[in-house]
Amino acid sequence: MQVELELNGDTERFEAAKTDSLLDVLRKNGYTGAKRGCDTGACGFCTVIVDGKARNSCVVPASKADGSTVETIEGLGSQSDLHPVQEAFVDNTALQCGFCIPGMIMRSTALLGEDPDPTRDEIREGLSENLCRCTGYEKILDAVEDAADRMADESGAVAADGGHPGSGCDGPCGCEPGGGGT
Amino acid sequence: MSKPDESGEDVDPDDGVVDLQSEDHPLERDEPADNRKSAAEREAIAAETEKYDARKIVTGEAKYTADYRTRFPELAEATIVRSGIPHGRVIDVDTSAAAAMDGVHAVITPWSEEVPDTLYSPSGQSYPEPSPWDTRVLSEHVRYVGDRIAAVAAVDAETADRAARKIDIEYEEYDAVFDIWDATDPEAPQLFAPEEVENETTGADYEQNLESHFEGEYGDPEGVIADADEERVLETEWETPYQSHCVPEPHTSIVYTDEDDRYNVITATQVPYHTRRQLSHVFDVAIRDIRVVKPRVGAGFGSKQEMVVEPVALALHRAAGIPVKLECTRREEFYALRNRHPMDLTMRTAVDEAGDPAAMDLSVRENSGAYGTHGMTVASNVATKAFPLYPRVPNMRFEGDVVHTNLPMGAAQRGYGAPQGMFVVEGHMDELARQLGEDPIEFRKRQAVREGDLDRAAAILKDDDRFARRIRSCGLRECIERGAAAIGYDDIGQPDDPHRHRGVGMALCAQGSGVAGKELGAAQLKMNEDGSFVLQVGGVDVGSGNDTMFTQIVGEVLGCDPADVVVKSSDTDFAPFDYGAYASSTTYISGRAVKKAAREARDRVLEWASRMLDEPARDLETGGGEVYSEESGASVTLEEVGYESVYGDEDREHIMGQGHHATDESPPPFGAQFLTAVVDETTGEYEVEKLVFAADCGVAINPPLVEGQIEGGVHMSYEFATSGTLQFGEAGQPETVGFRQYGMPRPDEQPPIESIVVETHEPTGPFGAKSIGELPTNGVPPALSNAIRDAVGVRITEIPIEPEDVKAALAARDGA
Repeated sequence: MQVELELNGDTERFEAAKTDSLLDVLRKNGYTGAKRGCDTGACGFCTVIVDGKARNSCVVPASKADGSTVETIEGLGSQSDLHPVQEAFVDNTALQCGFCIPGMIMRSTALLGEDPDPTRDEIREGLSENLCRCTGYEKILDAVEDAADRMADESGAVAADGGHPGSGCDGPCGCEPGGGGT
Repeated sequence: MSKPDESGEDVDPDDGVVDLQSEDHPLERDEPADNRKSAAEREAIAAETEKYDARKIVTGEAKYTADYRTRFPELAEATIVRSGIPHGRVIDVDTSAAAAMDGVHAVITPWSEEVPDTLYSPSGQSYPEPSPWDTRVLSEHVRYVGDRIAAVAAVDAETADRAARKIDIEYEEYDAVFDIWDATDPEAPQLFAPEEVENETTGADYEQNLESHFEGEYGDPEGVIADADEERVLETEWETPYQSHCVPEPHTSIVYTDEDDRYNVITATQVPYHTRRQLSHVFDVAIRDIRVVKPRVGAGFGSKQEMVVEPVALALHRAAGIPVKLECTRREEFYALRNRHPMDLTMRTAVDEAGDPAAMDLSVRENSGAYGTHGMTVASNVATKAFPLYPRVPNMRFEGDVVHTNLPMGAAQRGYGAPQGMFVVEGHMDELARQLGEDPIEFRKRQAVREGDLDRAAAILKDDDRFARRIRSCGLRECIERGAAAIGYDDIGQPDDPHRHRGVGMALCAQGSGVAGKELGAAQLKMNEDGSFVLQVGGVDVGSGNDTMFTQIVGEVLGCDPADVVVKSSDTDFAPFDYGAYASSTTYISGRAVKKAAREARDRVLEWASRMLDEPARDLETGGGEVYSEESGASVTLEEVGYESVYGDEDREHIMGQGHHATDESPPPFGAQFLTAVVDETTGEYEVEKLVFAADCGVAINPPLVEGQIEGGVHMSYEFATSGTLQFGEAGQPETVGFRQYGMPRPDEQPPIESIVVETHEPTGPFGAKSIGELPTNGVPPALSNAIRDAVGVRITEIPIEPEDVKAALAARDGA
């Protein structure tokens, strides 16, 4: 069967088997940022954003994903122009082996889209679908708090600048730089 | 010597170990002048250098083994067929239906010509392995539910799985044994016939399912304990369970043959060189015809010190004739691969008239599971890691039995016996202090290891004192003091609810820095003409940040920015030799090799700068990307040196440096784990509120990465104490096959962790560094047992600690 996705802003059409998950389709087509950790929706390493919500792509059937808007880590920022959430993970050393990190960053991005200023406990709750074996989560929590500050600063700076869209945040986080930030 | 611990007492450093030839283990070391730098003198070390691979990780561009699939136009995917019974012999495997399926490239069984029947150890240890050769690529004699019988390579994983389900296996079933005490009964079924094991380890007796028996002692522990009054002897018993590594990236390998007709193995491993050697042995292929490449690895924690799937992938590749990828499932990771060894332990101490421990006696019975990988060595480390906390105790004894059962095998896991050892020793010492009416922390401060001590506990199982060691850095008392302050030890307060009681617990921790006398690290550094460098190094980064640490060491020696060092590591064709990432060795061993390579390159840089500046090399220094003369103030940049050395008119040279490092030293890092817990006296439920770990790892080359090691280690240790373990049915059937059943703490379940880095200076380490990777994995089980004892007066000696256990102990306390 064919699956059509609005993937990182582009319309893409992929061949898929009936049994394929969204993760299978992404990885078979070179989008290997999302990782396969359990295939049961228990670890969150495969987290991507589907129609604005963070989802474990290993338990989203490809057929159900057909026609949806999908954001993956590949669409966020580049090594020389990181998204604020990516930047915060780098600057807080909030990563070790890195296998959980693309999923963790997508989950964090969605979380901050819904709640731009979460408490530390709300971040713990918001990331509870995503496991990390290396960090004990401390530096990840630091990074998400820091990312919230960075994004608030950016949207504040943009507003002061007359409401022009910011350059650093065109991701799926829904933070709408310059477009309604406080 | 490092900053000494504060101690009000006049202490004889050889106290208790006077019969040791201490001149063989001098306190002072010849240390290179550049090895000790004050904080103000440091440029690249002890700095928050950005993690080398951070940007490719956060953008999803870091490539792990499975991500290499896109490089292969034709790539078979594979599935392993595993035993459904705990013990028996495979009589027949009917592969006809599977082999006939569309898309199936190969089906292999123990009898396939591509599958060697060579016995080997998958342990990923140095040669000859101190683990028995008891494993085959595929097994006819199956010894646990999950043992490998057959494998399929097909056009994709889904087809391979379907084909695997069509394979019909006929067994002759044998009796099985699951209990480590039943297993040594003469009536118990025997797991290994004599011809099924080579390279047996110490004290093996396979008729009794004993993989190993060992013992060691010094002084006269039996005599001292026998002569002591009953009230001066304390005996305690402890039990620890399986723990899964929960390694994020499942074991994965890709095997193909390149255009030079050599086997190439891209694999998630901690031990590329050991894997190459072991594959050569198993398949009788020359080492020169095998290349092992480690890409980014989604962590190991010891599970990838094992050569787990590589031989199956190679056999399938031989059968299929095209590249093969074998990627394990999470279910397999839990029930069929590797774990921390369960143990039963007994500890006895006798105290003298002054109330000081005079003798310690520890015995361990370890469940090795169905195969013996790391069985004897992990059990050995229970005491050789924990006893060095108390090297002044003059009479020490340790013995171990390593027993086979028809359950999954243990293996290396972060801590390597030390978590079990610290649980027993630090739980026992806390209990001893309380029964003596002493504050358990003050008691430990008085008894524990000090800088200058001679430690022969680390060598208690050795025949001589070659591996006794002088403790040249020890910040344990500062760890205790700063940890106590952070947890609020002096004023923890109590909850308002009278049924709820808050307790505080502490446990001391120690580890090693590499395997003493069994390590080798090597490195080569090449200068580019723009003043940057390429570092080729065998040292293996499986996520903890070793590549970053290497760039900082190069930067510190050569005065360049760590970002100007490109690291090419862990490819057996291009990187110099290294034993691999295990035993907390990489900073201490591979880091020293890198430092030596950088010093050799620096000598050549200074020689060229000397010619360019017309000043003697001895007057020149490196720093800030330059070579400069303190005499004249003249300088040249590293870039100018780089261009001149390669393109000079009169002479030319490629500036390079080589280094390797091997040593008998393995200095222990030390730490103190603190936690507070609130126990509900009516239900036995408890809540850990906060975890604090203070670590002395010498000089922290990269403090945020060290904190990350502490926080991740404490997380694993917290799980070991409270939630992780595997369950089995009566017939050995696995019942824990996923994250949700297993209980790995999630972000909202993990109590806050505070990490404290205490600096000492280890003169044998690179810029004063010791190890950090395993140390923090050791402390939560004893600290939690001690906190519950503090809160409600009961001693829990079995983990994971369940509320029912606490409730039962409370009932016993109250005489119910």
